[in-house]
Amino acid sequence: MRLSGVWFRYARRDPWVLSDVSVKIEPGEIVVVQGHNGAGKSTLLQLAAGVLHPVKGRVTDRPHWVGWVPEHFPAEQPFTVDRYLRAMAAVAGLPETEASSAVQIWSHRLGLVQFRQTRLAELSKGTAQKVGLAQALLVAPDLLILDEPWEGLDAATRDQVPEIVNEVVHRGGSVFVSDHRGETARLPGATQWTVEEATVTAQTPEGVAPWIIEIEVPAADGPATLSKLKADGHDVVRVKDQRAARHAAEAEEPA
Amino acid sequence: MTALIRLRLTGLTRTGRAIAPILGGLAIIGIIYGGGPARPTEAYGLAAIVLFPVLAWLTKILLDVEPDTQRQLSVVLLGSWRREILAGLLAAGIASLPVVGLSLLLPWIIGGVTLSNGGPSLLPALLLGLWAHLIAVPPAVALGALSSRVIAVSAGRAAAVLAGGVVLVLVLGIPGSPVPWLAPPLLSVAHTLADIQVRAAPMLPFTGWALVWTGVVLVGYGWLRRTRT
Repeated sequence: MRLSGVWFRYARRDPWVLSDVSVKIEPGEIVVVQGHNGAGKSTLLQLAAGVLHPVKGRVTDRPHWVGWVPEHFPAEQPFTVDRYLRAMAAVAGLPETEASSAVQIWSHRLGLVQFRQTRLAELSKGTAQKVGLAQALLVAPDLLILDEPWEGLDAATRDQVPEIVNEVVHRGGSVFVSDHRGETARLPGATQWTVEEATVTAQTPEGVAPWIIEIEVPAADGPATLSKLKADGHDVVRVKDQRAARHAAEAEEPA
Repeated sequence: MTALIRLRLTGLTRTGRAIAPILGGLAIIGIIYGGGPARPTEAYGLAAIVLFPVLAWLTKILLDVEPDTQRQLSVVLLGSWRREILAGLLAAGIASLPVVGLSLLLPWIIGGVTLSNGGPSLLPALLLGLWAHLIAVPPAVALGALSSRVIAVSAGRAAAVLAGGVVLVLVLGIPGSPVPWLAPPLLSVAHTLADIQVRAAPMLPFTGWALVWTGVVLVGYGWLRRTRT
């Protein structure tokens, strides 16, 4: 799936949440998008899911089956867990027997069996989030979009998220995850994107050699630059004092 | 899409939010019939006008009954925001049908109509009444959709769209209006059906007029929904 030159804002006079974003997600790829609160992570995910439409630019090659787990599951609905999941499976186009089987499988896997006859509005936040996760998995998704999937889940289900992600990827699907809790370590090998100041920056996946960029700054700015780079999360590999190097070079030159 | 229509209708009935507009509308129709028995076609023409705001309100309730995020989940599951819109509009149309049935039945129960005042006999009168009610449904659904939360956002703006829309339809549609075509032909139909000589109203032009008006409003609704899921 590809986002090409995508611009988005929620209203005409609002500032751009995303500006000129061009990124792509390959089949079998896991992408974790990070950024501070309000940076535009959920907006980016919703554009990928087809919930939002770009003001400018295009989203192309979106896979047929998309599973979207919103950050907050809408539990204020007059249905039981079982009725809701069956209805969602039917909306997705599953025949009744397949829908029933899918609901049973995911209810078991996510520990929802005891809540199947409970009304959605009576569920705890964590259990409601599990229902949100289940509805996205009833049809095996080609693209699974998880908005802060670790938020509100119990420890056992948090541990299941990487397992589910890997299952999707092994089937050739893609997974797009937002994370502001620093749970990325649970998804080794994931491509990292950062949303900041309305742009998306892609970082190198773990296990691939990082770039080493040399920069030159005035000596007086050295300490401040070092501090800023470290604060931004960069690894400072080497600091070279040019004057010392030049002196050394001059000393070595024959008179 | 059928599953989504079913889900929305179930949500509407389970929350019970539709009771207020339906009871309110039927009460007003009952009051109108309280003036003494009228010819069925005359009564049905007026009842269809009363039903217009009721069905628009019912549509708004149906479209607003599910949380915004649930509507967005439906868009993702269906893979198309256009199909989600269509499912909402069809569900609203289906939800209107029992109300139309009640409105057709009510005057016979409370003695608000009589065949002894002249006019068409029972079956033609019923068919004309059904038609008058049915052509009120699409415009009402369109206006209700425009006042739904996804478009109007705030409750105040939604009320303004709904009430303002109904008032405009009544004011602009009144016989003798310089721009009657800006409103669906509800008042023109009622005026035609009030004629004692009525046998077959110009059904095709009025139906076409109502559908074109609905189409124009729904194009606007669809255009606004492009950026509002």
